[in-house]
Amino acid sequence: MIRPEEIKMSAEETGKWGMVIDQDICTGCQACVAACAMENNITFVGEVDSGYGRSMHWIRIERFWEGEYPEVKMTPQQPMMCQQCGHANCEPVCPAFATVHSQAEQLNLQVYNRCVGTRYCANNCPYQVRAFNWRDYQRPEPLQNQFNPDVTVRRMGVMEKCTFCIQRIHKAQDTAKSEGREVRDGEFTTACAQACPANAIVFGRVDQPESLVSQLKHRRHGVKHLEELGTLPNVTYIKGG
Amino acid sequence: MSEQFSRRDFLKLAGLGAATTAILTGCGPASRYVKREPYQQMPEYNSVGQSTYYATTCRECAAGCGLVVRTYQGRAIKAEGNANHPLNLGKTCARGQATLHGLYNPDRVQGPSTGDWDSAIQSVADAFKNYKPGEIAFLMGMAPDHLFDLVGDLTAAAGMDAPIRYGALSMFESRATLSKAAENLFGQPGLPWFDVGNAQAVFSFGANFLETWLSPVAYTRGFVGLRQSETKLRGVLVQFEARMSATGAKADHWVPLRPGTEGLVALAIGKLASELRGGATPRIFSGVNPAEAAEQAGVELEALEAMAQIFASNAVLAIPGGAALGQSNGLETAEAVLALNALSDNFGKPGGVYLSALAPNQTEYSGPASTEEMAGLVEKMKSGAIKALFVHGVSPVFELPAALGFKEALANVELFSFATFPDETAKEAKHVLPDHHGLESWGYQRVATGVSQSVLSGSQPVVSPYYNTRATADVLIAAAQLAGGKFAEALPYKDEVEFIQTKLAALLGEGDGSFSAPDAATFMAYFQQYGGWFKNSNALIAPDGSGALNGSIEAGEAEFAGEGEFFFVPFVSPTLAEAGANKPWLQELPDPTTTVMWNSWIEINPATAHELGVEDDDVVKVSSEFGALELPVYRYPAIRPDTVAIAFGQGHTAYGRYAENRGVHAGDLLGARFNEAGDLAFGGVKVRVEKTGRKQPLSRMESIMGVYGVGLGGEEH
Repeated sequence: MIRPEEIKMSAEETGKWGMVIDQDICTGCQACVAACAMENNITFVGEVDSGYGRSMHWIRIERFWEGEYPEVKMTPQQPMMCQQCGHANCEPVCPAFATVHSQAEQLNLQVYNRCVGTRYCANNCPYQVRAFNWRDYQRPEPLQNQFNPDVTVRRMGVMEKCTFCIQRIHKAQDTAKSEGREVRDGEFTTACAQACPANAIVFGRVDQPESLVSQLKHRRHGVKHLEELGTLPNVTYIKGG
Repeated sequence: MSEQFSRRDFLKLAGLGAATTAILTGCGPASRYVKREPYQQMPEYNSVGQSTYYATTCRECAAGCGLVVRTYQGRAIKAEGNANHPLNLGKTCARGQATLHGLYNPDRVQGPSTGDWDSAIQSVADAFKNYKPGEIAFLMGMAPDHLFDLVGDLTAAAGMDAPIRYGALSMFESRATLSKAAENLFGQPGLPWFDVGNAQAVFSFGANFLETWLSPVAYTRGFVGLRQSETKLRGVLVQFEARMSATGAKADHWVPLRPGTEGLVALAIGKLASELRGGATPRIFSGVNPAEAAEQAGVELEALEAMAQIFASNAVLAIPGGAALGQSNGLETAEAVLALNALSDNFGKPGGVYLSALAPNQTEYSGPASTEEMAGLVEKMKSGAIKALFVHGVSPVFELPAALGFKEALANVELFSFATFPDETAKEAKHVLPDHHGLESWGYQRVATGVSQSVLSGSQPVVSPYYNTRATADVLIAAAQLAGGKFAEALPYKDEVEFIQTKLAALLGEGDGSFSAPDAATFMAYFQQYGGWFKNSNALIAPDGSGALNGSIEAGEAEFAGEGEFFFVPFVSPTLAEAGANKPWLQELPDPTTTVMWNSWIEINPATAHELGVEDDDVVKVSSEFGALELPVYRYPAIRPDTVAIAFGQGHTAYGRYAENRGVHAGDLLGARFNEAGDLAFGGVKVRVEKTGRKQPLSRMESIMGVYGVGLGGEEH
């Protein structure tokens, strides 16, 4: 049950970057998952470890079944990643201040070199979107040639998660700063949104009412997941046509 | 660089570099070869800390999507869609994203099997000279087209048979059946293009167009148009298939038909819909009895009537797809489904059926070989009519069903493989002459379908070759010149780039292009920069389907081989497809419907599984007349109880560490029966399923998400 004051709380969000995901047109094709892995130097863990739930996906596509054959239906595919909460459950439990809120970007940061691997943050995340490096996973020669130089390569014992491609945010901010302007909405986007063949993922500035992401969010019936927990997520989901 | 060059100047220059990168990209001389150099000697246009972007064409399938690859100090970092490419408009599928795992795959073929290229090329030249022209055959993959053209020139001049093209994707797409049905109906050959985006409703009979079918990225864009448009109501998608595909999972209505009854059901719906609309029932539907059709298809008549209701009140686009056509009656099914479109009068109209635009340097439609033609090739190899076989861009030992006997027939031929990866075919080859990876290669690809314009997509190397590989075009040119005579006359080029320039020169004077250039070198430079050349106008062909409803189609019963109690649906893995298994991140992508990673599974309806006494992860033995496999069960809620399904894509016996000895090969259960268009009746097999008593846990994404309540304190069901 959502209490009225909580609805008010979520309307007062102060996020800067946000995402809108249209589940009506998401086909679950996994292009975003692959794009995210390629952009963010995410390691693959192999069959056994992925079977134990140790795969490092920063974004995953959830789908559930409704009904029984022949009236069976797959629920609309739901790409799930860090919701970049305004009131994030992961932040207050970190003893090392490795997961902190950025004032500048209004995002949840994960500071890899502070992380000591307590995994409290992952335990506390209601969205279950954090991935822990249980091992130093091997990427044999010459696979590491692909590493994105803008993204840290993580090692064993470190927690990681979706960053809203913060390296792309910073690059766009640097370019904008050198040109003496603000970052424009649509100037860049995250790896998942860029790849999505259905344009089901839209990323942009939620603090600008005229941006596409703001318009989509307000024009259609957007919902935020587990909003009743008061997490103030910055990802909005659109269900139904 | 002078000693007075200050840090401030450097920073200025670096900033300038950032601003100009986009403009300079790909503008270089046509014969530019990118090299990977140490930091001190950067490749041209590169400056330390700045990325350079090159436009090229994706080779993970033959659709021909444009890529822009980010490179950094000579290394490819990320593949993105080319926003200016009309086919994919900046988008990519998962396989396109993972193309770098092919480039940097630790198990690539690193050099020719002879050790040095001179003797390797000599062996090709010897084959040209020692065998009669009729004894030499070229088997090519669906991409790239420039190499197909080069081999076509060579074989035509030397009197050899024209090269054959084939790929497992074209087999599972039933491309030959689709184009044959279109030809029968329209009197004109071509590959149909279905304008999903502008349709009011889509009835898809087994077309998995959101996964691997023909041009999935373009069809996904169409699907979005179907669902959401400013100008029309939300469109409806109805999917008819025995096993819910990832496409069926997006459908508004999923109708599980018994395999092989799709054509009959199409006719029944046509009849019901035309009765609902009133007026005379068209002749084509006269022979069908909807109640009997429903009975045969194993669905309720009410279900068909409900669909007919949708059909009668909408302009419906009907699509015949691979799974429905891979049956002994596949051609009739394709014709029946295509004919349904006549009820909506949508041939050559928005939201309807077109024939795909021909590419700029194409004068007539040419499709890949059907599997029956491949069987013909195998026969020729067995009988000794063919003595030397050159294979590029396809791995027939893996991609063809074992029942065709391709591998056994190889004993009689001298096999030359141009494989980039150590695939099953390369393993059998006497000579392996590895080609570059697609991202190290020149080329062009004709966009076969998916876009209204006529598009030629361009490839250029984005990195220098990592290994001692050589472009197959260069190898053939060198070998032809060594062989002399008519071979040398056929390929009078310095290298591959000169060949491509010669072919592109024909487009130089053409109007209506995405760009024009004063001379060949400039044209080539722009071609590289933009990643291809396309015409601006709509080049779709409006077919004449006026007679579609007056014909008569005998939608006969499909024939099934074997005595097993289950229908068998082999489907192409949406994430791995035929050649993705060696890319580790593709292996770790959850299957879109089952979320299984890194392995094979058999999909069984939970009720059937209960009857068989098997649970998830129980290993069963599946056997057909042609072979047997053992693999774990996945209880799949959206499959007919009389049907089982296995994904095609795993089960490699070679192809590198990530693919080898992983899962099973769905093709091992298939026979060699064809439909009237020559496509394999891959759905025409019945199988038996037996419990083995063993267990093999499947790695799947959903278990940690608690779909069956696991891990969340719920009851397992």
